[in-house]
Amino acid sequence: MFQQLLFAAVVSGALYALVALGLNLVYGSLRLLNIAHGDLVMIGAYVAFWSFTLLGISPVVSLATTTVLCAAFGFLVYVVLLKRQLGSPALAQRLEANSLIIFYGLSVILQNGASLAFSATSRGYQFLDGVHSFGGVSATGSMLLLLGVAAAVTLGALAFLRFHVAGWSLLAVIERKDAAAVVGVNVERVQMISICAGFAIAGVAGVLVSMTQQITPFMGFPFTIAAFVVVIMGGLGNIAAGIAAGFVLGFIETFGVALTSATYRSILIYGIFVGVLLLRPQGLFGKAVQAR
Amino acid sequence: MTGKPFMIAAFAIVAGLMALVPQLGSEYWLGVAFIVAMWIALIQSWSLLSATTGYISLGHAVFYGIGAYVLVVSLDWMPVPYALALSGAAAGLLALVVGLPVLRVKGPYFVILTFGFAELVKNLVMLLETRLGQFSRMIFDAPSLEALYYAMLVLAVIATAIAAWTAQSRFGRGLAAIRENEVAAEAIGVPVTRLKLFAFVASAIIPGIVGGLLVLRTSYFAADQAFDPAVSFTIVTTAIVGGLGRVSGPLLGTLFLVILSELLWARFPQAYMMILGGLLIVFILFVPQGLAGLIRKGLGRA
Repeated sequence: MFQQLLFAAVVSGALYALVALGLNLVYGSLRLLNIAHGDLVMIGAYVAFWSFTLLGISPVVSLATTTVLCAAFGFLVYVVLLKRQLGSPALAQRLEANSLIIFYGLSVILQNGASLAFSATSRGYQFLDGVHSFGGVSATGSMLLLLGVAAAVTLGALAFLRFHVAGWSLLAVIERKDAAAVVGVNVERVQMISICAGFAIAGVAGVLVSMTQQITPFMGFPFTIAAFVVVIMGGLGNIAAGIAAGFVLGFIETFGVALTSATYRSILIYGIFVGVLLLRPQGLFGKAVQAR
Repeated sequence: MTGKPFMIAAFAIVAGLMALVPQLGSEYWLGVAFIVAMWIALIQSWSLLSATTGYISLGHAVFYGIGAYVLVVSLDWMPVPYALALSGAAAGLLALVVGLPVLRVKGPYFVILTFGFAELVKNLVMLLETRLGQFSRMIFDAPSLEALYYAMLVLAVIATAIAAWTAQSRFGRGLAAIRENEVAAEAIGVPVTRLKLFAFVASAIIPGIVGGLLVLRTSYFAADQAFDPAVSFTIVTTAIVGGLGRVSGPLLGTLFLVILSELLWARFPQAYMMILGGLLIVFILFVPQGLAGLIRKGLGRA
């Protein structure tokens, strides 16, 4: 029983870490809080669902198509909504303050667009649902695939930030944008790539979610909140601590629900969210990020 | 400014015309007017905190929901007017209790906090209702729509009057100083904490009563509907489309919203929400002064 719960906690922790990674990338380099982040998870889930049920395309292939689609969407959002504003300091200041509201509008558009196009019915499909048992744990193949992909993406991101020179410029932009520009980092380019990568990671997470749960047009919102919880616990813009915080949330959620009942799930998540923001808006572990 | 008596007269004429709507004898138009008054009251009260101080709240529906819930529960023990007063008091009390810690959080953090806080309260009420074995509640013998409409209109007038008074008062200038630079405002002696808390509580009472009136109108309460985040979304969108920082903004925004919703909401609810989302983005980016600002600019040029 305990091992099974532990496994469930690791699976949901990996998913939260992955979803939050994308949110954190966008916040870190653009200082924009993307409240529509969970809705990109939803889009990834629908791409995988329709590819599988209509065309018989494996979700493994959909991982690649959603990466491209969501990155392209990120590029579009960057060019159409953000680029001009980010370029001029006066507008950027206003954009930062208003970014949440802009993404709030985007979120409503995506949710209702999906509901209009696909109806609000919840949907699901069966993929790799054979059960494997080892060491007192039963897991479906889709869960193992989810873990593998999430681990590969998060570890890949960490390695990129640690070892690649482009990762360093990303870290520099997260740390101090103006100083990064002085030492020759192409800030605009880093920001554009971050938003594409952040959106793509959300889409990948959506494909993984669609293999293991039912999907609806309004499924994104809880993911947004969970990602916010994780990112705030880890400290906004602090990538590595955010990944650790994803697992913390996975454990708290899984064991909290096991000790009480499933009806407490959302109260637990929102309660942690409100509590963390009230007590330590600069993050539980990790250094302070100026709230300005 | 010669505009001030003119504006007061214009508001008085609008209020007077709205008071005449029941004379039309049309249930449909009375319903529309009720909704118009409701949004004006909600948006003016939201603006009292969010437009003046820049502390944008995405969770205004929480006060509306609490008001609705308190009304539907207290109606078993007391007549309607007392229950409505209790709705407003409960919403104000909630704001007072959470105000100090919540208002300490600044900038984008405050914005997402209000969002999550509203969802937390919604889920707590839903849990409480499930525990009590209630999934929805009905109201019998609610007052007539006409009576409810007059009550709503009074609220809309009060909310607008408060907004107009705030705009030119010492209190309002203190709030504006908080928006411009809170640290500097505090340094020159503006009691920022007290002002913010006062604005927060004041902005919560009216939606509390509005929530109570709406439940009486629909005769039905379900927690997920009363705390619907779409209400908060509509408030923010309408306020921004109408124009922040002007008393006429919420009126223009509401007019626009109600026309749009009459045309679209019943037949194409999703398209309606998508259009609202699009308007929000367009106005924030390109028309930050809103309809009120556009009109003023147009008049200035003419």
